[in-house]
Amino acid sequence: MKGMETAALVFQIAFRNLWLYRFRTIVIAFILGSGAFLAIVGLSLLTDVESSMRSSITESIAGHLQVYSAKAKDELALFGNAFMGRAELDSISDYSAVQKLVLQNSNVDAFIPMGLDMAMLGRGNEMDDSIDALRSALKLGDAELIKDRKDQIGFLLQQLQLELAEQEKIVTNKSELETKKKNLELALAPEFLAQLKADDEKKIQFLETQIAPISGEKLPIYLFYLGTDIGAHRKNFTKIHIEEGEALPEGRRGIVLSKTVRETQLKRRVAKLFDLIHKSKTKANGAIKGDPENSRNAADLVRQGGQIISDLDRNESVKLSQALNDSGFKAAEADRDIISKLKTQLKLFLTVDDTNFSDRYTWFYENIAPLIRLYELSPGEKITLRSYTRSGYVKSVSLKIYGVYSVAGMEDSELAGAANIMDLVSFRELLGQMNDASRKELDGMREQSGIKEVNASDAESALFGATATIEAQSLSQNSPTAVAPEVISVKPVLSDVFELPEVQKGLILNGALKLKDFSKLKQTKKELEVLFKANNLDLKIVDWQEASGIVGQFVNIVRGVLIFALFVIFVVALVIINNSIIIGTLNRTREIGTMRAIGAQKRLVLNLFLAETAVTGLLGAVVGALFAFGFLSVLNRLGIPAGNDILAFLFSGPRLFPKIHLSVLIMAPIVVTLIATVTSFYAARHAAQINPAEAMQEKE
Amino acid sequence: MTLAAPEKFETIAVKIDNVTKIYPLGKTEVHALKGVTLNFLEGEFATIAGPSGCGKSTLLNLIGCMDTPTSGEVTLDGQPISKLSDRDMTNLRLSKLGFIFQSFNLIPVLTVYQNIEFPLLLQGKFTAKERGLKIQALLDEVDLVKQAKQKSNELSGGQRQRVAIARALVTNPRIVLADEPTANLDSATGERIIDLMKQTNKKHKTTFIFSTHDPMVMKHANRIVRLKDGLVVQE
Repeated sequence: MKGMETAALVFQIAFRNLWLYRFRTIVIAFILGSGAFLAIVGLSLLTDVESSMRSSITESIAGHLQVYSAKAKDELALFGNAFMGRAELDSISDYSAVQKLVLQNSNVDAFIPMGLDMAMLGRGNEMDDSIDALRSALKLGDAELIKDRKDQIGFLLQQLQLELAEQEKIVTNKSELETKKKNLELALAPEFLAQLKADDEKKIQFLETQIAPISGEKLPIYLFYLGTDIGAHRKNFTKIHIEEGEALPEGRRGIVLSKTVRETQLKRRVAKLFDLIHKSKTKANGAIKGDPENSRNAADLVRQGGQIISDLDRNESVKLSQALNDSGFKAAEADRDIISKLKTQLKLFLTVDDTNFSDRYTWFYENIAPLIRLYELSPGEKITLRSYTRSGYVKSVSLKIYGVYSVAGMEDSELAGAANIMDLVSFRELLGQMNDASRKELDGMREQSGIKEVNASDAESALFGATATIEAQSLSQNSPTAVAPEVISVKPVLSDVFELPEVQKGLILNGALKLKDFSKLKQTKKELEVLFKANNLDLKIVDWQEASGIVGQFVNIVRGVLIFALFVIFVVALVIINNSIIIGTLNRTREIGTMRAIGAQKRLVLNLFLAETAVTGLLGAVVGALFAFGFLSVLNRLGIPAGNDILAFLFSGPRLFPKIHLSVLIMAPIVVTLIATVTSFYAARHAAQINPAEAMQEKE
Repeated sequence: MTLAAPEKFETIAVKIDNVTKIYPLGKTEVHALKGVTLNFLEGEFATIAGPSGCGKSTLLNLIGCMDTPTSGEVTLDGQPISKLSDRDMTNLRLSKLGFIFQSFNLIPVLTVYQNIEFPLLLQGKFTAKERGLKIQALLDEVDLVKQAKQKSNELSGGQRQRVAIARALVTNPRIVLADEPTANLDSATGERIIDLMKQTNKKHKTTFIFSTHDPMVMKHANRIVRLKDGLVVQE
């Protein structure tokens, strides 16, 4: 009774004092309101980003928890660590035991074996491409095309000669260079190319095996890949869907390319340039004129005509030339043959500016893209991956591309699906693990070559290095006419099929756990840690956020920044509040002294000042919360567009539609009020120290 | 210099026994009271007079339980105060003392009624109804029934001081301390205020102790204590 009435009185005095000093009240309320607004909007967005990111990460690659060997040198980073290299993980030599163990936990739904690594993609070089183009032209027997391609090879040969002349000045191993020079002279002899006919497979192979390697490879592409049990992976990562080709069948060796990787790393330069400019224009409102990057890309685009032509046969060339002509890109009078006509027309077509770009972009994808080899790799083809194994030698594995996948809702994000997916057998092979077949193969080779006592790693390096080159060349021999007596046939080291039990045990680098009830993640993690310890397994278990490396930390980083910003706002607010109370007490010394004199305890004065801050805080925070509610409602209706790839990944789609989190909306004003009240304690105490005798003091 | 109490008063309301008070002032000290011994009896209507700096305010603060003596003892209604905590001193002020100030010292944001109610709420002994009865009676006594709902800053000086008197009396204190209660009032109003206090003094046997320069107040007093340089010089 007494407490209630005194409290009512205290609040009444507090309210009236706030009204009396309303300017001050409004300033403080505004600052606290801004704090509440920022807290609500920031935390709501963070919660949304976290949950959308969680679905991005957990449903595309990570699962809810990740297990890996505690002996790992690096921390697991599924999306790459800060240095974008591969993390050095120690392997788990047989995962079936771990799998059996974790499935004992009632909350664990599935264990998906994994391994992340990267390898170099054998790509050949320009000479290889030109030889391929010549081969297909020869097959068609089109004289103009053949001439054009021979010219191209001739040009490349001359360039090579210049290059060798340069090399001569610096190379010490002259004998090797002499062989190269001799071969090149053979190829450069005028009759060599002139007399090259369709059935001259020997000559073509000479070009491929002796000449092409001289010029060195194109810049290598490093492909990230995830080795996994395909069946378990498909069942548990439902966001992944096949866009082109087919899914990798269980029990087959092969790879499914990530659409992201294919679009960014394996697309024809001409299409890539169109894409880059298009993206800049549509997503970032960029222009070609004035933007250095776009201008450079546009200038580069003009030079891509040759690349298009080299992908076309005669019919396609005629068709394209006609289509270009119909669209107003006319060949010059001087152009006699179809190739030179097309060169002129494409040059016109590829000269883009801000006014014509979007038309050209559409035209390109409608009329040219279907004719050319848009991507370096496509489903159905075979690739060779070369990796440097942990023990230092080179391993090379040939793989069939089955399909292309993307992650649902995140087709635009370059971060989602940074890894291609392959079977575990190939993965282990690339990692350098010996299986029975490869061990036998190796022993066979050793025996054949008569080597008995050698340093193992040197021998392997030499042997596998050799295998890799041969396999890389076999790539360009897909054409059926290529079968000639001299053609080197390559026997695959690994069988393309394998028995499922083979993958269902054995080596992995890490394993993903899917939980039945996500909310019990922490508890399950703890239980599993105990379980591992009890079974003497030296394993580390991390949640999806930790496992995803720097990307997963993003939310934590942003949260840190937000909390820091809030902290600064509150520190400023609290300094202002405390100051204004202390200054306020100067004006109110007599009033406080009087209250104390007529029998009010210090506590009442303290409560009065705390109440004043609490009321101000609550007022400001509630208004701030209302604004935050309105702001989030608008965002909820409109959605926040993901301006770039990272945001698209974080938003788990092209737009984020923030939800209104009732708990945040209610808690934030309460917390803001509490913080403000608690921290004004210092100043309030200062006021409570006022001596009752002050009531007697008369102002002069 | 001990003074015998007049015979018609029996109970000692305030006993001041050889009290000194020293304030630090920069590096020196101010000896505000240099050994005062003095009694105030129940029902007295006494004034403390003297020039500025004589120790009047210090003495009043000590009697008002707002300060403790450096040496000696102040006993209020049988309760020595020098060893009391701030909390107990505050309770003592609330239960036994009433205060009237020169500048009235009402709480500006409260109404007349609420100002008078304030000490009762602090005491927490009475129901709203009981409080209402007490306040109404006092409002009637100080003739402010009509102004009950007005804010104190809407009143004249005399009205304010009457509110202050009502506030001082509402707890039925044993002693009312009044610090220059008429200084900020014109003489006619001052006279009416003194009359009001005198009536209360007679009716409730409340002890009144004033500090004042006002000869009109002294005229009404039945005892005048004169202070000079921290000592009692004349009764």
